[in-house]
Amino acid sequence: MTEERDRDARHRARQEFEKRTVFTEIVNLFSLVGFLYGALDEELPFREAVRKQFEKPVCFYRTKLESNLLACLGGIAFLLYLFLLGTGILLLLYYRPTTAEAYSSVVEITNRVPYGWLIRGIHFWAANLMIVTVLLHMMRVFFTAAYRPPRDVTWVNGMMLLLFTFAFGFSGYLLPWNQISYWATTVGTDSMSAIPVVGDTLKYLVRGGDVVGQLALTRTFAFHVVILPALMLLFMVLHFLMIRRQGIADPL
Amino acid sequence: MAQPEPRERYDRYGSEPFFPNHVIRQSIQFVLLFALLILLSSLVPAPMLPKADPFDTPEYVKPAWYFLGAYQFLKVSEKLGFLGPWAPKVIGILAQGLGAMVIWFLPFWDRNPERHPYRRPTAIRAGIAFVFFFLIMTIWGYFS
Repeated sequence: MTEERDRDARHRARQEFEKRTVFTEIVNLFSLVGFLYGALDEELPFREAVRKQFEKPVCFYRTKLESNLLACLGGIAFLLYLFLLGTGILLLLYYRPTTAEAYSSVVEITNRVPYGWLIRGIHFWAANLMIVTVLLHMMRVFFTAAYRPPRDVTWVNGMMLLLFTFAFGFSGYLLPWNQISYWATTVGTDSMSAIPVVGDTLKYLVRGGDVVGQLALTRTFAFHVVILPALMLLFMVLHFLMIRRQGIADPL
Repeated sequence: MAQPEPRERYDRYGSEPFFPNHVIRQSIQFVLLFALLILLSSLVPAPMLPKADPFDTPEYVKPAWYFLGAYQFLKVSEKLGFLGPWAPKVIGILAQGLGAMVIWFLPFWDRNPERHPYRRPTAIRAGIAFVFFFLIMTIWGYFS
């Protein structure tokens, strides 16, 4: 009896939520493909989980405008990552990762492909702005001491994200295969060999040989478009789950 | 460290539902960022440089701006050559690696319970010094 009443109450809460947030249409759309109603939903309550996530409030600092603005930096970095993902996929449709063709394909993207210059420009600018926002976000967290326990793991996770961002920058720099990218990568991998013990092996692994050549381009390409985006997404999800679980740090 | 109950935190600091309030806020940011990116890439297009030539070393090779600081640090540490031929690069790399590790594990050794900047002057001074060091190294690297 009580069980039935519980189910009724939950059903009503759900309906009310969906009505209030204009969420009904989306739910109905998903129900067409059998995702949110029926046997699967009985066993794995997706709707319940989605509703919980969507209804869970997001904290913000009511009193201090400046801390609110500063708290946006991480979110802006994430939005820039989304831009990079989107434009990166579009660039991938035309880019050819070989030493003979890489440069000419970038020229083709810029000059011949419709809106190619814009897609490449957005990728270029979003990449630079992402590094700026990530560094500013890190400074904000440091100067407000938001990294203190229990948010210490979030900080270490964020340092991984910073490392991946720099790795993105380093690997993406070689891909246009122009003079600066070629020689900067040569010098950059050269300074890797100064790392004690593993330096020379690391340099050899990144270059795939004694000099920067086709293998180096293949490897940086693989890193830039497959390995790093996946790693980055994984660590971003962890970062956001931890923030969602603990909320933002107390105001000062 | 005791955490206030979530419900209590929301009441104290103000909160909004994730959907639709927060999602709308993020969407506005998304559109504004899109406008900024279109503006920037129209006014200052991504650079188009000559094709890579392995047989033609340019006179000055510089990395991307975010690596300039680290690169300049390596170049400066080459002045330590009087310690031996191994010294410059190993010291340049180790010092930076050590610095990175110190920042990486910051929450595990910074046990000061205070959070307000005025009540932890040492950490704030060290942080500002670090930021300025990075900026100066980057600018120096840019102009050298």
